Amino acid sequence: MKRSKTMELGVGLFVLAGILGLVFLGLSVSGLNNGLSSTSFTLKADFADIGGLKKGSRVTMAGVPIGKVKSVELDQEWFDARVTMELNGELEGRLSEDTTAAILTSGLLGEQYIGLTVGGAPDTLEDGDVIHDTQQALVLEELIQQFVSNMASK
Amino acid sequence: MMNDSQFVEVENLYFSRGDKEIFRGVDMHIPRGKITAIMGPSGSGKTTLLKLIGGQLYPDTGRVQIDGLDVHRLKRRELFRLRRRMGMLFQSGALFSDLSVFENVAFPMRVHTDLPEAMIRDVVLMKLEAVGLRGARNLMPAELSGGMLRRVALARAIALDPELILYDEPFVGQDPISMGVLVELIKKVNQALGLTAVIVSHDIKETMSIADYVYVLSDGKVMAHGTPANLNVDRDARVSQFMHGEPDGPVPFHYPAPDYYSDILNEGARP
Amino acid sequence: MIKQRIASLGKSTLDTFESLGRATIFLCQASIGIPGKEGFHLWLRQMHFIGVMSLAIVLVSGLFIGMVLGLQGYTILVDFGAEDALGQMVSLSLLRELAPVVAALLFAGRAGSALTAEIGLMKATEQLSSMEMIGVDPLRRVVAPRLWAGFVSLPLLTIGFSVVGIWGGYLVGVDWLGVNEGSYWSNMQASVSFIDDVGNGLLKALVFALVVTWIAVFQGYDLVPTSEGISRATTRTVVYSSLAVLGLDFVLTTLMFGEL
Repeated sequence: MKRSKTMELGVGLFVLAGILGLVFLGLSVSGLNNGLSSTSFTLKADFADIGGLKKGSRVTMAGVPIGKVKSVELDQEWFDARVTMELNGELEGRLSEDTTAAILTSGLLGEQYIGLTVGGAPDTLEDGDVIHDTQQALVLEELIQQFVSNMASK
Repeated sequence: MMNDSQFVEVENLYFSRGDKEIFRGVDMHIPRGKITAIMGPSGSGKTTLLKLIGGQLYPDTGRVQIDGLDVHRLKRRELFRLRRRMGMLFQSGALFSDLSVFENVAFPMRVHTDLPEAMIRDVVLMKLEAVGLRGARNLMPAELSGGMLRRVALARAIALDPELILYDEPFVGQDPISMGVLVELIKKVNQALGLTAVIVSHDIKETMSIADYVYVLSDGKVMAHGTPANLNVDRDARVSQFMHGEPDGPVPFHYPAPDYYSDILNEGARP
Repeated sequence: MIKQRIASLGKSTLDTFESLGRATIFLCQASIGIPGKEGFHLWLRQMHFIGVMSLAIVLVSGLFIGMVLGLQGYTILVDFGAEDALGQMVSLSLLRELAPVVAALLFAGRAGSALTAEIGLMKATEQLSSMEMIGVDPLRRVVAPRLWAGFVSLPLLTIGFSVVGIWGGYLVGVDWLGVNEGSYWSNMQASVSFIDDVGNGLLKALVFALVVTWIAVFQGYDLVPTSEGISRATTRTVVYSSLAVLGLDFVLTTLMFGEL
């Protein structure tokens, strides 16, 4: 009977460890809560070109993750990209109205992410507001093309 | 023969394994409450016959009836229910190696009954006492000798007081003392419980001493049957060869082979 | 001569289908165990032998594979200046491929062969027959708990493999080679999807668990009960389940990540 008790304990710990491992894979590895506290709010931003940005990409401010991209869709009216971001709830009502959003690249070939920079306006962004001042993704091919045509026209 | 006194009936049984025909029309009537022995030389398929009776193998044609139930027509669940009324003593004992002697004997009761623990303990000790191994109840099967294994297996086979018990070569490889013990036990168990027993064996002396009726198998058929006294005086050459243990006779000593001399001289053509 | 060849081809085809059929019926019969507390205890016992006892080899292998991934990944990525993507590389390789496959291969070697040998020995010593004659179905009492324990254990072992491997990659990449800790995790979090990567990896593990345990218990139950038969069946378990895991991995990867 004693042997069976230690066995039960062992199996219990084994199953528990498996479940904890799954939680770890969910939270720390797939970033299901990506720097978000329990509450969150959403902001939208329109970009002319989002490059390789996709659902789940990071949103940072001064390099610190504060949220992630919730969805990316095409605006059928203006034909630009409408990005919905889910941000840390603590920041709601504290980002100024003229906050800018830029699509940045980590390293030369790394992931693309959104960087927010606050401005100086007194009014603040609320849940569901749209950021208008945006900077599109740097697409390498376009840069090269510009460079080449500049060279040619000189 | 009175039909209602038959417990097991084997009718026109054919069975083959691969290309080898093992039974070619076996008929047997095993009377209720008696000890019936099935004898025959090694390799005559005696163990196979027990497995056919127990429903572990399926015959090509023919049927086996136990207490009016056709063993091979039963559904899996019904077959397992029928088996609860049988006990089988395997040649090797076949004890569960991960359970102690006590747990082995308790096993059939634990799985088939809801008896309280105290009662299981009493019954197990009773059965172990009957085979003289009450003191060995905490040993593991690996710690027992061959004869003791078989006695524990016997205790397990009778744990649920079956109506039919099948013994597979109970005397093989036993020293004279444990052989004597087993003969006594089988006789005693049968008298005490009034059950029907089938013994498969080729140990003539021991088997004859306890059997009420004997079938002799050879070449896939029943060669002879009768009471031990009748068979002992049977004039048939094959029966008397087997009964008296003569090395050569109608049952040849040699496995079928081409002629000895031409086989030896024909060295170059060896396969 | 040719006729003989064709006949033997036909025979082996028929034999293959026959044994596949037997294996399928076997799986159906063995999938239902004994209900209630007793069945749970039988299952628990097998969880111990199959799962807990395989933990050490799986975790140690996971750690080393994670460390090697960290090292190899770093030397490749640093040439592109993309060493920040190390976390992403380590975690995706582990979650999608290496953890399910390597854990299943180790499991086949450690637990699968032991299952075959154990059941085979029970068959050779007539324990299965005697259980049948006692009126207990060995498929339900012996095989089913092992089948279910294997089916539950391997996904748990795969999770352990991934976690330890990601930690091993962190150890080498961040602690030894100086990759930025924040970017190791945040790159990983940005690129790993819980459903697509963790979920699909687990789905693979479930499929492998079923196949490996199935092969192991069937080989044990179906073997020729001699010492040679047991050794052959044990070898077959490892060979067949390794091939099945690698082949199925290709099929599953195509379905999950191949965008077909």
